[in-house]
Amino acid sequence: MFLYYCDLAWRSIKKTPMLSLLMVLAISIGIGITITTLNVYKTMSYNPAGDRNDQVNSIQLWSQGLDTWDEFNTNMTFTDVSNLRNNNELAIKAASYRTGLAMQSDDETKAPVLRSVRVTDTDFFTIFDVPFLFGNRWNKSVDLQPAYQVVIGEQINNTFFDGKNSVGKTIYLNRKPYQVVGVIKDWNPKPKYYDPTNGAFNDAEHIFIPFSLSEQEEFDVWGNTSGWRFEPMLSYQDRLRSEKTWIQFWTLLETTEEKNQLQSWLTRYVEQQRSFGRFTDTAKTPAESAQISPVDKLLEDNNAVPSDNKILVGLSVLFLIVCLVNILGLLLTKFLKRAPEVGVRRAIGASRGQIFAQYMVEVGMIGFIGGIVGLLWAWGTLTLLHAEFNVDPSVTGLDSSMWFVTPLIAISTAALAGVYPAWVVCRTKPSVYLKAQ
Amino acid sequence: MLSMKNISKVFKTDLVETHALREFNLNVAEGEFVAVTGPSGSGKTTFLNIAGLLEGFTEGEYCLDGVNVSNLSDNKSAQIRNEKIGFIFQGFNLIPDLNLAENVEVPLRYRGVKSSERKRRVEAALEQVGLAARMKHLPTQLSGGQQQRVAIARALAGEPRFLLADEPTGNLDSLMARQVMELLENINQSGTTIIMVTHDAELARRAQRNIQIVDGQVCDFSMYQKADHSVVAELKKVADQKQAAELNQIVSGA
Ligand SMILES: Nc1ncnc2c1ncn2[C@@H]1O[C@H](COP(=O)(O)OP(=O)(O)OP(=O)(O)O)[C@@H](O)[C@H]1O
Ligand SMILES: [Mg+2]
Repeated sequence: MFLYYCDLAWRSIKKTPMLSLLMVLAISIGIGITITTLNVYKTMSYNPAGDRNDQVNSIQLWSQGLDTWDEFNTNMTFTDVSNLRNNNELAIKAASYRTGLAMQSDDETKAPVLRSVRVTDTDFFTIFDVPFLFGNRWNKSVDLQPAYQVVIGEQINNTFFDGKNSVGKTIYLNRKPYQVVGVIKDWNPKPKYYDPTNGAFNDAEHIFIPFSLSEQEEFDVWGNTSGWRFEPMLSYQDRLRSEKTWIQFWTLLETTEEKNQLQSWLTRYVEQQRSFGRFTDTAKTPAESAQISPVDKLLEDNNAVPSDNKILVGLSVLFLIVCLVNILGLLLTKFLKRAPEVGVRRAIGASRGQIFAQYMVEVGMIGFIGGIVGLLWAWGTLTLLHAEFNVDPSVTGLDSSMWFVTPLIAISTAALAGVYPAWVVCRTKPSVYLKAQ
Repeated sequence: MLSMKNISKVFKTDLVETHALREFNLNVAEGEFVAVTGPSGSGKTTFLNIAGLLEGFTEGEYCLDGVNVSNLSDNKSAQIRNEKIGFIFQGFNLIPDLNLAENVEVPLRYRGVKSSERKRRVEAALEQVGLAARMKHLPTQLSGGQQQRVAIARALAGEPRFLLADEPTGNLDSLMARQVMELLENINQSGTTIIMVTHDAELARRAQRNIQIVDGQVCDFSMYQKADHSVVAELKKVADQKQAAELNQIVSGA
C-alpha cells in the first residue's frame, strides 16, 4: 500500500510541476537556512571531551587584586602553576601555553618553517587522550629535569621525514637540537578546548616540547597575557615572577573525592599565599578563590559559542515556520482541487485513514525532496561562507549527522504543514462530488 | 438483500429543510434488476446514496444482506462499500491520471488484493466490457460510452453482490446506452443484484421490476405495469398532482 501511495504521490507531484517546485523551493530554503545555522551551532557547541568531560578539569585562581576583573581568568600565573606542578597530591597534571619557533631538520633540502608550538608537560597527552602514531610521550622525569625532547604531529613528520618513523631523529627549534620521542596522529579538536582563550576554533599545534624548558629557553608567549597591575617586564624573569596570567593548567580527576581533595588543597593554598601577601581580593573567601572547571564549563565561560549564534538558529527556525505556513496554503489549494477524485475513491471503498495516508505520503515526498535540495543549499552556503568570508572550514564543514537530520526535519516540517490539508481532504463526503464532474 | 423501512432523509440548510425521502419503504430481493424512475428532484439519487452507504439518513432502518447498516461507523461503511457494493455514476467518475487498468484496480487496492490476483481480475473485468486491448489508455482517450464501460469494469472488478447505477446512460447516445444496458443485463444474469436509476422509459421497461420515486416516496408500478397501463397513467397523474399541489402550497406559503 505504501508503494501505491508513493506511486500516486509521485504522479501528483509531476502533474503540477510548478506548484510542486514552489513547495520544494519553500521547504528547501527554510531547511537550508535552518541547517546552515544549526550546523554552525552544532560544530561550535560540540564538546570534544565527550564522556570524559567531568574528568578533564582545568584550574582557575582568583589571584587578581580588589576591584580588578570580575571573573575568573582562564589562565594562571607562572608562580601558581609552578606550585601546582609541585603538588604531589595531583597525579596527572599539565601546564601549557603556546609559543612559536623556527623549525629545521638535518635534511638541508627542506626549508625551515615557523610553527606554533605547545609548551607543556607529558601528562597533556594523557589528559587529552592524544593518539600516537610512533613512539610515545616523553618520560615523566623530563618534566622535572629538562631535556630537549619533542613530540611532533603527523603532518610535520610527513614533511620532514617523509612519513617514516622519526623517533630518535633530531629536529632543530630556534637552532637547538631536540630529539623526537613520539609522533602523534592528526589531532585537531574543535573547539580547541585545551586553550579556548586563543581562538576557540584555531588549529591545534603540531609540535610539543617540555614545559620544564621554559625557564632556560625563555620561550615567547604566543597567546594572551593579562595583567591587572603595573609591573615592569624587562626580563623573562620579570615575567615569571609577575602576577600576569598566561598559562593553562589541566588535570585529570577520576572521582568527586579527588575533586574535593583538590578543592581543599586549593583553599589551603590560597590561605597560604595570602599570608605571603598575594591574593589580595579579600571580598572572596579562600574557598571561593579557586575554581575547578570541567571542559563544558570552561568552554561556556570562554563563550566558545557566541550567543549571536543561538539567536541566529532561533531566527532561522522562525523563517522555517513562515515557509511552513506558505506550504500549508499551497497544499490546501492543491488537495481541495482533488476532492472529486477523493469522492470517487471514498465511494469505491477507501477509508478516511487510507485517503489521509495517501496524502501524507505525498506531503512526505515533497518534504523529502525539499530536504535534499535544502541540504544542497546548506552545503552551498557553507562552502560560500568558507570561500568568500574565510570562515574556518571546521565550522563550515557539513556535519555528517546532518545528512540524516536534514531529511528528517524536512519530512516532519512538511508533515506538520500537511496534516491539516490532508485531514480536510480525507473528510470529503463521498456523495458530494459524484453528481457532477 | 436490501430492505428499507420508513427511511426519511432531511437536508437542512440555513434557509430550508428539504425532505428528500419520506417514509421510504423498499425491499429488493437477491438477483433482481430494479429500474428506478421519477421526476427530477424526487429523491432518486438520495435513495441510491443511502442504499450505497455514501450517506446516512435521518430516520428509519436499513438492512443490507441481512445486516442492519443503519448506524455504521465511517470505516465500516467504507469496508462494506469496498466489498459488497459497486457504483456506476452518470458522470463516469474515472480518475483522470490513471490509465484504464489502474482505474479498474482501485477497489482491489483498497481491499489489499495481491498483485497477481489484481492483474487477473482487472484483465477479466476489462475483457468483459470489451476493452482489454486498451488497458494502458487514459480515460480522456476514450469515448463516453467506452468510459462508462470502464466504470462498469471497475465496479465489476470488486465482484460486488450489489450494483448501484445512477443514470449510467444519461450522458450517452441511444446506441451506446443500449450497449451499456446489455452489459448490465449480462451482469445481472450472473447473479448480481442491480438497482439502476434512469430517465429512459425504454431502458426502464427492460428491467425486471420498475419502481417510481415521487416526492421522496416509492410508487411500485411493477405489478400493474403489464396488466393495465391506464391504471399506471392514472396513478402517475395522481402523483404529479400531489406534487403540483405541494409546490403550490410552498409557493403560496412563502
Ligand atoms: N446535499 C443536499 N443538500 C440539500 N438538499 C439536497 C441535497 N441533495 C439533494 N437535495 C435535495 O433533495 C431532493 C432530492 O434530490 P435528488 O438528488 O435525490 O433528486 P433526483 O431524484 O436524483 O433528481 P435528478 O433526477 O434531477 O437527478 C432535491 O429537492 C434536492 O434539492
Ligand atoms: Mg439524481
